[in-house]
Amino acid sequence: MAVIEVEGLTKRFGEVEAVAGLSFQLGEGTVTGFLGPNGAGKTTTLRMILGLVVPTSGRATVLGRPYRELSRPVTRVGAVLEASGFHPGRRAVDHLRVHATAAGLPAARVGEVLEVVGLSGSARRRVKGFSLGMRQRLSLAVALLGDPRILVLDEPANGLDPEGIHWLRRLLRRRADEGGTVLVSSHVLTEVAQTVDDVLIISRGRLVAHGPLAEVTGRALPAVRVRTPEPQALRQALAARGVTAEVRGPDVVVAVETDSETITLTAAGRGIVIYEMADERASLEEAFLALTATNAGGAR
Amino acid sequence: MNGLVRAELLKFRTTRSSRWMVASTLLAVLVGVASTMATAGDDGSVPLETTEGVRNVLSAGASAGALVIFILGIVSMTGEHRFQTITQTFLVAPVRSGVVVAKLIATVLLGLALGVASAAATMAVALPWLAHEGAPARFVQDVVPVAGGTLAATALYGVLGVAVGALFRNQTAAVAVSLVWMLIAESLLVGFAPSIGRWLPTGAAEALSSYTPGSGDLLPMWAGALVLCAYVAGFATAGARVALRRDVA
Repeated sequence: MAVIEVEGLTKRFGEVEAVAGLSFQLGEGTVTGFLGPNGAGKTTTLRMILGLVVPTSGRATVLGRPYRELSRPVTRVGAVLEASGFHPGRRAVDHLRVHATAAGLPAARVGEVLEVVGLSGSARRRVKGFSLGMRQRLSLAVALLGDPRILVLDEPANGLDPEGIHWLRRLLRRRADEGGTVLVSSHVLTEVAQTVDDVLIISRGRLVAHGPLAEVTGRALPAVRVRTPEPQALRQALAARGVTAEVRGPDVVVAVETDSETITLTAAGRGIVIYEMADERASLEEAFLALTATNAGGAR
Repeated sequence: MNGLVRAELLKFRTTRSSRWMVASTLLAVLVGVASTMATAGDDGSVPLETTEGVRNVLSAGASAGALVIFILGIVSMTGEHRFQTITQTFLVAPVRSGVVVAKLIATVLLGLALGVASAAATMAVALPWLAHEGAPARFVQDVVPVAGGTLAATALYGVLGVAVGALFRNQTAAVAVSLVWMLIAESLLVGFAPSIGRWLPTGAAEALSSYTPGSGDLLPMWAGALVLCAYVAGFATAGARVALRRDVA
């Protein structure tokens, strides 16, 4: 059964369609990176999944039910959302006690999650004096209070230092390895590429790609890297056959949207020597730009 | 449900501004009592040695508690938007009516506590002072009705505050508009156009807490209670409705 299921999800704010007929399913044991340009509808989608924003049409369910109908939801889903804050005058430990009390969780959990996120030493300080990274850790502590198997995180790496990011990555990995489900949005693509199993890319409220990271980057921009002593000659020969290629170094040509057969035949026809040839995987960033740009069409 | 109410009380206890509000209430109560005592009988105001004079002293601090708990009620709702804690609150308790009801219950409890504290402070100062001035207060006829009415008005104002806060998300606007309305617009109407003013929340609350039968300007105590309850129920229904539907983004 899908852990998180989104079906025909649509949200209109006046004239603007923030999310338009979005559908996807997330299973157990995966970390999914949720990507899209600014204003693509990521945050609105996450908020609809969590029952904070009411969809115009379509539905989003967690464990087969709308979030609002889950019993003791924080024991099932932990969430870190942007535009979610703290009372500046409240101590970190009190902030957690408020939520633990509301959720009916044992008071001992407060100390445990403070330990997990590394804030034990600052527990008695007021949030006012917290850095962005400390606030982010405190948000994560709230998300972990109910020890949920599902995590929904909107830009959780914001403000974290490299060590914090490393820690977060291990945390997400461990949740997924234990059979949990993690949906994490981020705009730091290199960050995402190191953490996730799957990527879910949306643009202008629509689904652009969803699948294993390798598959999505491979499909986005199939490219072949060729090592040859005559890179310019090969580039021209490929161009004559309508294949786009680029010289990248004294003996390297990268040809896009083609295959090794085409390149070999082209090179053989002109008597160009090839030392080495390999499929080149586009980086997530390249794939992301290619996928979202096509989809955006004339809008940019 | 129980957990949500306790969480609301904890939210109140764990901020410093709440403590200041309680302290300033008690201070305002004492100032109110002292100034009423000192000016009784001046310029044609009711002299101390009458039932009305005694009750005026006893109820002098009543409006301070009501006003403070009203603001606390507003802040209890709007503060969650101001500091964006509403997201986490609704994630823990996605059935929003539960959150609104918990805030209502918590605010009423706080209102009662504040009302008891105000009444105790009033009595501690006013009773010996009145006795000393030769106008002793009678427990059953004066103290009980005034204290009871004050308690009831304070609790109801707490509910009204939560409801107003649920209707208007902007904390500054909600507090400012309410204060201008209560302290200026309504007070003027109660004072200069009592035929309208006594039907307004402030007029009804005054009737409820000052217990002055026979004074023609205000409604009788029971009618004041009913009118105030009606306002509270109307605002609470409207406020809950708005809070339950609105997107939290």
